[in-house]
Amino acid sequence: MNAGANDRRRILVAMSGGVDSSVAAAMLVESGHEVIGATMKTFCYSEEETAASRKTCCGLEGIHDARQVADRLGIPHYVFDVEEEFTRDVIDDFVSEYGRGRTPNPCVRCNSNTKFRDLFRRGRVLGCDGVASGHYVRLDRSAGEPRLLRGTDPAKDQSYFLWGLPFELLGLLHFPLGELTKPEVRERARALGLITADKPESQEICFVPTGNYRDFLEKKLLPTHPALLPGAIVDHRGRVLGRHSGYSGFTVGQRKGLGGGLPERYYVLEIRPDTRQVVVGPRDLLDVRGAQVGDVNWLASPPRPGTKLLAQVRYRSAPHRCRVVDCDANSVELRFEEPARAVTPGQSSVFFDGDRVVGGGRISRVMGSSY
Amino acid sequence: MQSESPSVHNEAAGARSAAEPIYLDHAATTPVRAEVAAVMAACQAEEFGNPSSGHRWGRRARGRLEEARATLAAAVGVETASVCFTRGGTESDNLAVLGSVRGMDGVAGGHRAHVVTSAVEHPAVSAAAERAVREGARHTVVGFEEGEFDLDALRSALRDRPAVVSCMWVNNETGLELPLPEIAAECRSRGVRLHSDAVQAVGKIPLSLADVPVDLFTVTGHKICGPKGTGALIARSRRGIAPLHFGGGQEDGLRPGTEDVAGAAGLAEAVRLAVAEAPAESNRLAALRDDVESRLVETISGVRVNAGGLRRAPHILSLAIPGIDSDTLLATLDADGIAASGGSACASGSSAPSASLAALYPGDTAASLRLSFGRLNDERQVGRIVTVVADAVARIRALWAP
Repeated sequence: MNAGANDRRRILVAMSGGVDSSVAAAMLVESGHEVIGATMKTFCYSEEETAASRKTCCGLEGIHDARQVADRLGIPHYVFDVEEEFTRDVIDDFVSEYGRGRTPNPCVRCNSNTKFRDLFRRGRVLGCDGVASGHYVRLDRSAGEPRLLRGTDPAKDQSYFLWGLPFELLGLLHFPLGELTKPEVRERARALGLITADKPESQEICFVPTGNYRDFLEKKLLPTHPALLPGAIVDHRGRVLGRHSGYSGFTVGQRKGLGGGLPERYYVLEIRPDTRQVVVGPRDLLDVRGAQVGDVNWLASPPRPGTKLLAQVRYRSAPHRCRVVDCDANSVELRFEEPARAVTPGQSSVFFDGDRVVGGGRISRVMGSSY
Repeated sequence: MQSESPSVHNEAAGARSAAEPIYLDHAATTPVRAEVAAVMAACQAEEFGNPSSGHRWGRRARGRLEEARATLAAAVGVETASVCFTRGGTESDNLAVLGSVRGMDGVAGGHRAHVVTSAVEHPAVSAAAERAVREGARHTVVGFEEGEFDLDALRSALRDRPAVVSCMWVNNETGLELPLPEIAAECRSRGVRLHSDAVQAVGKIPLSLADVPVDLFTVTGHKICGPKGTGALIARSRRGIAPLHFGGGQEDGLRPGTEDVAGAAGLAEAVRLAVAEAPAESNRLAALRDDVESRLVETISGVRVNAGGLRRAPHILSLAIPGIDSDTLLATLDADGIAASGGSACASGSSAPSASLAALYPGDTAASLRLSFGRLNDERQVGRIVTVVADAVARIRALWAP
């Protein structure tokens, strides 16, 4: 377990103030590494400082808790203001994607840009040669090029959120929790006497602590933006069934909140920003045969057309067997072996070879729907 | 475990810099000097009685408390009775601002209280003014023109007899000296109460309250090698100031609670020493500061000295450094053995946008670095300070280049 003299590294640990990153930091200290804790300040708390924002992982309370844990571990801890980068790469993208009727994964954007690349840039100045986080994934260095693998606990595996890591950083990363379960992590935190041991899991997106995206988008978009204007709810045959007050509140696969008067078992099938239509229909029409994936990032050699892959299109959903129809540096066209349900533009499609993350991208459109 | 691993036992940083770390954050706080610690230790052992008690232990503690009050008053040139001991600078500032607003009731019945502050106040004043607004007061902020305090704006704000004007003597982020004699003359001519937070001024610039008619005046112990949690509000008149605490009537009811006799004695001793040593010490600090300043200005391209060219206290050097971010600079300096701060220490540990710098340099976004000098510094450190700071800036700029 202990790092030998040659393996001893100076590692920057991204500490949110939650239990996972606290234990990650503690494990690296136990392994004999020189550890520096870092918490990102990602948005302006003075405007948003509410009871709700205090509870999430990155508010002032998070900074305070991370600092307490670092003091307990006897490691230095710094707070880095990354608001400018975070706003540009995460918040602006979140707003623009919802504005286009898509459903983004802001945590993926943060991991792809802010949490590792931007944080590590600061770590390098401090002389760090590695960066770590409390994600439940594994990094296998045994075979020459580093391979990113799913965490061993299927209930916590977070590989879905890490496909966008810059490949050149991969070898410098450390994920100490990859072989643990959440109860094991809490157990370790308690044994170490960390104040974060029993902290509840953060569920909401850190910059929308209330969970109300619509309110947030109304603050960020012009009132005349199409996403906030009323439009028609139509069924799969094009019949108008009702009205909605802006498509920004909808996501594909959603059933609740469609308003009265609609057949009970109808789901959102599609959002059409150009006409502001929200298309609904019965559940089996959510099935599609293929998808185009853009903004692709590879953590292994890009596959040739015809290659079989597993594609996971939502967090916590089973991956789909599929075949690569076409592939270039930036995009991939997939054909699913069996119809795939609720494939949502804007969400990540992550490509696996077994447990290994070989790449991922953002779903730009779906193909072969049956209506 | 907590007590065994304070952040000075910073292995990661220690490995990087074998040399002794250098403390350049005296404007944040200072170590207690030996003379003060000795006074306090004696006090805690011998004068532990409750000054309100009638018996001999009480009398003895009371005697020690009043001795401290007289020492402090003499050091700053006021009457002994005007010293009200508090539990720190924030408390004194809060009491001066909010106490003046709340004390208006019945005095100027029906008149809406008005608070006037400078744009560079410490949050202990500005947040108290915001609190007063929530209680119904008006708040006017007097700004700066080309670094000069806007006396015209002050004059017009004085027209409706504000409850209190609060202007710090020396700004904690830049060292800028505010023109207290002029401000005091304006307030005096209008009969308006003036408060000044002088926690960065005591022992750093010549101060004689006998010459400057400030009505309320904040001092604290921990900025001048005295104990933390000690302070005083010097109040030439207590009329019209409402207390913020309620209890046993100590300090004439202005700050009730059993007095911290050892703290008061330590504070008084620290103020006495700081004022006595001020002429020599401020020259020494100015020489150190000027040396570091001129060498950094020469070495780091694009750097600006905040409040440069203006009247400044000798212990603070504030630099605006474009092309880097201040959190990374401070972390790097810590790893390399130099303890400094950004604009000022903020609860989050991160650089908050500084109201003081925004008031002096509107729209400027360069990172700010505050080096503040004191008893732990001497001229042998100058070479290393300059090398470490310049090297950190260069490394950050290199890694930031796209």
